[in-house]
Amino acid sequence: MTPDDLWRALSDPAQDLALTLALLLPAVVLAALALRGQAPWPLARALLLRFRWTNLLFVGLMALSVGLGGALLSQERALRQAAARAADPFDVIVAAPGDEVRVLLATVYLQPAAALPLLGADALRAIQADPRVSLAAPVAFGDSHDGAPVVGTTTAFLDRLAGPPTEGRPWRSASEALAGAHAAVTLGETIVPAHGHGDAAEPEAHTGAGLTVVGRLPETGGPWDRAILVPIETLWALHGLASGHAPQEGERLGPPFDPDYFPGAPAFVLSGERLADAYAIRARHDREGAMAFFPGATLARLHAVLGDVREAMSLMAVLTQALAAAGVLAGLVALARLFARRFALLRAMGAPRRFVLGVVWLYAACLLGAGCLAGLALGWASAGLVSAAVSARMDMAIRASLGWPEIQLAACAFSAASVLALAPALAAYRRAPVEDLRAG
Amino acid sequence: MRHARPLPASDPALGDLLVEGLEVHAPDGRTILAVDRLQVSAGATLGVQGPSGAGKSTLLHAICGLVPVAAGAVRWGGTDLAALPEAARDAFRRRALGLIFQDVLLLEELSPLDNAAVSAAWAPRAERGAIRARAAELLVRFGVPQSGSVGPLSGGERQRVAAARALARDPAAILADEPTASLDRETADRLVADLLAAARARGRTVIAVSHDPAMMAAMDRVIQVVDGRVRQ
Repeated sequence: MTPDDLWRALSDPAQDLALTLALLLPAVVLAALALRGQAPWPLARALLLRFRWTNLLFVGLMALSVGLGGALLSQERALRQAAARAADPFDVIVAAPGDEVRVLLATVYLQPAAALPLLGADALRAIQADPRVSLAAPVAFGDSHDGAPVVGTTTAFLDRLAGPPTEGRPWRSASEALAGAHAAVTLGETIVPAHGHGDAAEPEAHTGAGLTVVGRLPETGGPWDRAILVPIETLWALHGLASGHAPQEGERLGPPFDPDYFPGAPAFVLSGERLADAYAIRARHDREGAMAFFPGATLARLHAVLGDVREAMSLMAVLTQALAAAGVLAGLVALARLFARRFALLRAMGAPRRFVLGVVWLYAACLLGAGCLAGLALGWASAGLVSAAVSARMDMAIRASLGWPEIQLAACAFSAASVLALAPALAAYRRAPVEDLRAG
Repeated sequence: MRHARPLPASDPALGDLLVEGLEVHAPDGRTILAVDRLQVSAGATLGVQGPSGAGKSTLLHAICGLVPVAAGAVRWGGTDLAALPEAARDAFRRRALGLIFQDVLLLEELSPLDNAAVSAAWAPRAERGAIRARAAELLVRFGVPQSGSVGPLSGGERQRVAAARALARDPAAILADEPTASLDRETADRLVADLLAAARARGRTVIAVSHDPAMMAAMDRVIQVVDGRVRQ
């Protein structure tokens, strides 16, 4: 069995644990070399107690840098996970040819966008004729209510996205609406959608078209939780368009739609029964007059571009920690000087130079280690707070928590700092005891 | 009850101190101490007197190997300390010598016992228990509490903790630099009595630099250091 095979045979947590231990190895080796055969703890403890307030400041500085780095990285990871989670129910999106990212942002993340071109009857015919498609939901947007997007779609898609309503019931008529889990409307409330979003919204555009909220969907963790969902036929009607169904069908809601009465939709969400179906669907509908794409793949490409940002963030986190550690160590050199006469006395009593080195190194390592641990705790605590703020801003349930990458970052910082801690230790090691004794 | 192992004999064959042709130079090359010959028998007590800046402390530092010497020999029995590299001189002090300074430099955050037994921190693991036990015994003998902080201790008590610290490894020779300088008469007399009693009980050599006539009077022999020269 090669080392590669052995590594692959380990479970993910075992690999993470092994990597963390490997990152801590330099500190452990250094500790073994510096402290071997000696008992420097009482002296290091004396240093810790003597300069307790300054030490606390140093621990705080280190904790802040580790915590900040950890919180940033965990937040970025949580954001990516939340974005991927939100895109999960959208197997394949079909839209008019154009910018995939723009369609992705509008459809999955309900980000207001300039009007997207509509897919017409030909696309609908192709989609409804495809035997592999088990779910085809047109999605339309562009209206809003009190800042929340009003989205038109089908109950089948809402079932897939969130499941059946946790309160109330599904809509039964074109004048009914469902609320997303966090939409700021109450059951039984009648709303009148405004045309457009934000400052450009026209509240009077659909006056007279009151929609009653009859149910609330379960939480999905995505931007759809804040939306108000209506039958797509309702949105078409609000805009004076055909209903998608032949007149003789009455007030029918949902598929199948009649291509002859289909007014168009900016996007369709399609699903197949099996994974292979999804690939076949995407291939079949990515043709002239339409584009089909996997939102997950587009998101992955976006993340790949943003990967550089992540690298930059990691580098900034490491640099911040290095700067904090350097500041702490410079302070420790000064503090160790205040102890120089006592070290000189110990040296006069026969303490080896290595003992003095061990005491100062242990003292520095305790401070830096405590700083890294406190930083992890700080990162863990702040991740929750930052997540809440970012969740509110991004309309996504972002649950950042410290994971192995942050623990490994702290382990790496501690190992590097423990090597740098040799600087004050060597400064104390090199001092001539007689000069320090005479200095009194 | 678990008993600490007794300390190994510090260096029973340490023997006499013989200093010959010793020269110590300042960094600018100036001779600050020159000793033609000085002999101290094992187990004897020697007082070193002289005006301030005459070279008394330098003599003490030279005979314990703390300063490099420019010429001559510092023989403790068969070991010429002047010929040894720094690490070996450290090891020799560790094994054979106990030092007491005017400024006791106790570690304020440690208890009297932890201060007195501080040399256990760099001693081989097997000897640590014995060093602690002896430090505790010395503190009892000197009438100093073992626990609590050293902060509230009087100057005399602090100096006795320092004496216990020097004696905790049962060194073959004790070198003291102005140990009574900051003490009142009564406290100084008690420290000298305690120190010499402890040393004489074990047949240990004591070399003490001091301006204190009472301490000098208690020594077997007293020499003068004037302008870097020893007058016997």
